[in-house]
Amino acid sequence: MPIQRKKIKSSLAPGWYFMQGDEACAEGAIAAGCRFYAGYPITPASEVMIRMVQRLADIDGVFIQMEDEIGSISSVIGASWAGAKAMTATSGPGISLMTEAVGYAVITETPCVIVDVQRAGPSTGQATRPAQGDIMQVKWGPHGDNEIVALAPWSVQEMYALTIKAFNYAERFRLPAFIMADEAVGHLRETLVVKEEVEVWDRYKAPGLPPFGTEERNGVPPMPSFGEGANLLVTGSTHDSWGFRKTADPAVQARLTERLVLKVRDFKDEVIETESYFLDDAEVGVLAYGFTARAALQAVKRLRNQGMKAGLLRLISIWPFADEAIIKLGKKCRVIFVPEMNRGQVAGELKKYTTTPIISLPKTNGEVIEPGEIVEGIRRNMA
Amino acid sequence: MIQVRFAGLGGQGILLMGEILGEASVIEKKYVGQASSYGAEARGSACNSDVVISDSWIDYPEVTEADVLACMSQGTYEQNKTKVNASSGIIFFDSQMVKPDPASSLKHIPVPATEKALTELGNRMVANMVLLGAVVKALNLVTEESLRQALTSRVPPSLLKLNIKALALGFELGRIREI
Repeated sequence: MPIQRKKIKSSLAPGWYFMQGDEACAEGAIAAGCRFYAGYPITPASEVMIRMVQRLADIDGVFIQMEDEIGSISSVIGASWAGAKAMTATSGPGISLMTEAVGYAVITETPCVIVDVQRAGPSTGQATRPAQGDIMQVKWGPHGDNEIVALAPWSVQEMYALTIKAFNYAERFRLPAFIMADEAVGHLRETLVVKEEVEVWDRYKAPGLPPFGTEERNGVPPMPSFGEGANLLVTGSTHDSWGFRKTADPAVQARLTERLVLKVRDFKDEVIETESYFLDDAEVGVLAYGFTARAALQAVKRLRNQGMKAGLLRLISIWPFADEAIIKLGKKCRVIFVPEMNRGQVAGELKKYTTTPIISLPKTNGEVIEPGEIVEGIRRNMA
Repeated sequence: MIQVRFAGLGGQGILLMGEILGEASVIEKKYVGQASSYGAEARGSACNSDVVISDSWIDYPEVTEADVLACMSQGTYEQNKTKVNASSGIIFFDSQMVKPDPASSLKHIPVPATEKALTELGNRMVANMVLLGAVVKALNLVTEESLRQALTSRVPPSLLKLNIKALALGFELGRIREI
């Protein structure tokens, strides 16, 4: 796709910062070119919003505190169609409210970034406590088939870097891209090292070409904005390549739904990102993501010191899912442990791709998983 | 790598202690992980503020076994004394707020933070900075200058003088403690 990729000067001066994850996320958004933010405060995501108010005021951006999360995501979608890179941040309860509009963003192919700083649920749950319970919600929440992008930062550095990538993927694929943070990484303060330049991708423009269809079955059409002169129809109903509603035509429905899925699945390797630690000769596999992966990395090192051939596969991207990496991991290891702050959401997903035994190490008491608990969980099961 | 935990009650400024030490360490080009845990209430709930400081990337940025515990309330002392490294850990405690466990074999260092904040500065709100100054000085975690610089970026200008005085008081106490 002729998306514009360019290196630009970082909006933050290069250097070392002591920054909170939520704040680094906001800085990543600014660096990526985000100039519209709408949100409603919620623990533990409010600090993203606070930083965005301060930063957008400096650079002539637009900030709106909306009446709720439905209003927030709806105005983000509107802003994107007005030509802005736009973002909102919330936590699980807010994602629940936004879900209908996320489906609307998927079918209208609206680039936007949604930050989910996950907290213990269900429902209001424990506002100040971490969890990773929204992994399936962001993928399967809206009705119909949804392909979205979701990335899971494990550090403050990645809250910055992956937010920039989320904006790039949102533009590249014209879809909502999620940052799956959690309270632990959102409120963590760490060393953030900012470099001179960041890579930013800009929206594909091609006046005269249809905004909702391509010749290819898996293409991403160009996206005009309101005010640029195109006659634009944007609808959540099934539409043809020019946006005209076609609510009873099987061919149009088939072509649209197929393309919305294939435009991501056929190019998933552009997004899928994993990291391997000690996997070369590993017999005992650990798969983890987000903050939990840091505990898992230390657990694997401790197990190695104790003589166990353990290795870690870390998922940096969650959706699209790293299917081929899982197939490889399954072939290499006798067993795969999956620690996560939910009751086994990703552990279950692994079973689609490998017959190697998967052992879930869930924790849902509102506290982070500590390295010692992973070591103990693996030892108990390997005894 | 060193793991430091500050513990106390919401309202005592526990989170700020961790943030200022973290910021000061980054000023000195260290890798820092700083995580806090606290209740939903604005005042009175148990708070921890963890700082892990290292010369290189930190795998797990929260305290797993504290090298140093600095404590400002009895309840959080009881909760955390078992999370201190049994052989080499050190506990600093506010001598007006915490009665140490006589059965504990850990090294305990009393710091009259609340008392000094009241008698010398007339404001118990800065007891946290007295304790922070004492811990940092006693263990030489960062320089006085870095700590002052970090404080300046995180405290409102109207309260800066008072807080800097409190830090200085803490440095003095830290200087005379035997470690």
